[in-house]
Amino acid sequence: MFKSGIGGRISLKLDDAEKQVLSQIFEQMDDLLQVPNFDKNADPLARMLNMDGSTQISEDPALARLFPDGYSEDEHASADFRRFTEQDLRQAKMDALNDVRLMLMDISGKSAVTPVQAQSWLKAINDVRLVLGTRLEIADEREIDFDVDEPGINLYNYLTYLQGTLLDALS
Amino acid sequence: MSAMPIEDVELDVLTDRPWITLVWNDPINLMTYVTYVFQTHFGYDKPKAEKLMLDVHEKGRAVVSSGTREEMERDVAAMHSYGLWATLQKDD
Repeated sequence: MFKSGIGGRISLKLDDAEKQVLSQIFEQMDDLLQVPNFDKNADPLARMLNMDGSTQISEDPALARLFPDGYSEDEHASADFRRFTEQDLRQAKMDALNDVRLMLMDISGKSAVTPVQAQSWLKAINDVRLVLGTRLEIADEREIDFDVDEPGINLYNYLTYLQGTLLDALS
Repeated sequence: MSAMPIEDVELDVLTDRPWITLVWNDPINLMTYVTYVFQTHFGYDKPKAEKLMLDVHEKGRAVVSSGTREEMERDVAAMHSYGLWATLQKDD
């Protein structure tokens, strides 16, 4: 769990089981983010400027949740918005994920978390919750059965708890 | 200096109607997380951030910022980076 100490400094303490679970889920998250969504017809300059992203929302509901449309009622504007922003958004998500995966490799006992690392943890945990929640078809926060012994639900609940401790530490 | 033909002027600028960023309710993002994002990205104080979060939660969506189209595209991109479900549109 995350804790806030003297001067608001944040620390993280994870047992071996938690580290293992997090390593696995972050690796799967990395695989998911690696799925390319390039526009194959983009010109070389657009590619160099990271503007060769697809203009279409993903058919995978989890990826659609991570990379939603920017406009609700304007397909054309949404396509342009996606072309210019999706690659950067994907890179930002991968950067946060890499950050926490690196930290996870080093962590032993109680480790200090820098403010930058805290932001990476916050975003990476939330992205995994979005993917898991979408896969589990969580449609109403009040309908989550916390007593169900199902691996996906257990993991989702654990990540919710971990994110809660980080939000407490940050506030 | 010749005047710019009127049809070349962006209609958005001409009508001076602001654009808005909407955040939509979703069952996954924690209420405390959404409040934190509103405070962190927009610099809103806690009462304002909490009120907006409750609007999203109870009414299904809330206008969280307004400004030029470019500004709203930046806000929407930032909300997406936090995993919030946000869109922009012209304020009608």
